[in-house]
Amino acid sequence: MDKRLAMMSVTCALVFTACAKSPTEQIEAAEKSLKEAHASGASTYVPEEYAKTEGILAALKKEEADQEGKFALIRDYGKVEQLAVAAKNDAERLKTEATKKKEEAKASALQAQQVAQDAVKATLELVAKAPTGKDRAALEAIRADVEALKASLNQVQMAMDTSDYPTAQTKAKAIHEKSHAVSLEIEAALSKIGKGKLSAAKKK
Amino acid sequence: MITAPLSGCVEAVPQDMIEAVENIDRDLMELRAAEFSPQDYTQFAHQWMALKTRVQADEDLIRWPWEPNDLEIALRRLQEKGSHTVARLTRERDLLRRSAEDRIARVENRSRIMSLQVSAIDSRLVLGQKPVETDLLVKQARAFYEQGRYDRSLDASDRATQNLAMQASVLTSELGRYANRDRISRWQQMVKDTVTWSRIHRTSAIVISKADRVLTLYRNGQKVLSYPVRLGFNGYREKRYQGDGATPEGRYGISRKRGQGQTQFYRALVLDYPNEDDRQRYQIARKTGQIPASIGIGGQIEIHGGENEMMAQTLGCIMLDNPQMALLYNRVGKGTPVTIVGALHEHNSVALTLAALDDRREET
Repeated sequence: MDKRLAMMSVTCALVFTACAKSPTEQIEAAEKSLKEAHASGASTYVPEEYAKTEGILAALKKEEADQEGKFALIRDYGKVEQLAVAAKNDAERLKTEATKKKEEAKASALQAQQVAQDAVKATLELVAKAPTGKDRAALEAIRADVEALKASLNQVQMAMDTSDYPTAQTKAKAIHEKSHAVSLEIEAALSKIGKGKLSAAKKK
Repeated sequence: MITAPLSGCVEAVPQDMIEAVENIDRDLMELRAAEFSPQDYTQFAHQWMALKTRVQADEDLIRWPWEPNDLEIALRRLQEKGSHTVARLTRERDLLRRSAEDRIARVENRSRIMSLQVSAIDSRLVLGQKPVETDLLVKQARAFYEQGRYDRSLDASDRATQNLAMQASVLTSELGRYANRDRISRWQQMVKDTVTWSRIHRTSAIVISKADRVLTLYRNGQKVLSYPVRLGFNGYREKRYQGDGATPEGRYGISRKRGQGQTQFYRALVLDYPNEDDRQRYQIARKTGQIPASIGIGGQIEIHGGENEMMAQTLGCIMLDNPQMALLYNRVGKGTPVTIVGALHEHNSVALTLAALDDRREET
């Protein structure tokens, strides 16, 4: 009787120690890395790769569920573990790539913003030199244009603040072009009429 | 003995099948499907990764030719579905591209026409910063289009179109009285009264139409001469306060004549602006906060000659060329009535421009 009991205990021990377990830690690590990659902008800057890594994680989950559905003794989580490692590595790589691309986009937008700011500043300086009293409507129109350009610089900053670098860059580029055009307009007017004297300030 | 049956075995998945799906993935990436249609691409990528995982797991397997191959069937389905997605997205993207191109062309064209129309009625200033805002949006739409970001390009074009519609609304609100029959009737009546007064009193009277930019001198109720005039830099607007660049509308009289040496503008006829109506309007505008309390009503509105030939606009006065100013100066005196109206007829230049803007708005 004692002998049989001992045999059963050994068998049970063997059965339980042989049961494979899901690599929970590796799966969680892969999920965490993918979340971090997303937070780094991977879904925006490397969207195809990000979707594929999500796909690997989904395949991993399916494989895990398939194994869970099997009889305990024949479960094999080797494939799940392999996929978890691959997903984690991919996610880490995406995080680095997305961060790099985002920084590049930010640098380009910042450069465009600086160029636009300089252009508006130069235009403002020209407006200050423009003669009054000669063609007041044209001058007032130019002033309104430059004020609009100045206000638009705030929109560039707002886009930068929300990390919308494509919008910031295109807006800044547009401001630069327009500012340049306005400057040319003022220079043409200056060369045509010279630096005129101020008209007598009168009530009108 | 063993070799013979094995020669009848096949690979788990043919390599060309895998390459075909990889090519579809490449096509989708070139189409920027993940950006343009994320749902489609995510679905494809998930299926592709699931099958790829199975392909890698089955790599070492060898099947009998008569064995059903689920994996191959699944890959074939993905390939077919992927091909359809590529074809559909190519069509949709092309449609979007053409739509973005068309929208940019339309908004650029409308912006150009509006700019010309606004210039024609000297009303650029009425629009403030809006023309530049529109211009920037159009440039952004063009930049996004060139980057292949058609959805963003369309968004920028739409915002530019809205901005143009707002410009048209501002013009209508500011200059709508030029198209208002009642107002035009009142102006016509004012002119009629002035001409009648000239006839009854057998003297001179001046009528100025802002829309026509014409000054007419009447003598004994008869038209004597008509000269083109230039107005304030915001001339079509109704004058409300000092420095607004608007030319007033109403009944005035010449309060003083300034001859040579008394004015920087060759000769000048000073008007008795503001009149009672102007004062009332100004007080109401101040009380309702339409104009800041610190700003005055203005004054020194004159009919004058030019300081120099480059001067295209005034600060609110009515300007004539010097030879014509000389003739006018000699024919009028202190007290001569001067009636300034927006327009003399319904089909005036401002009303026609506003109508054209409305037509354009309906088109878009």
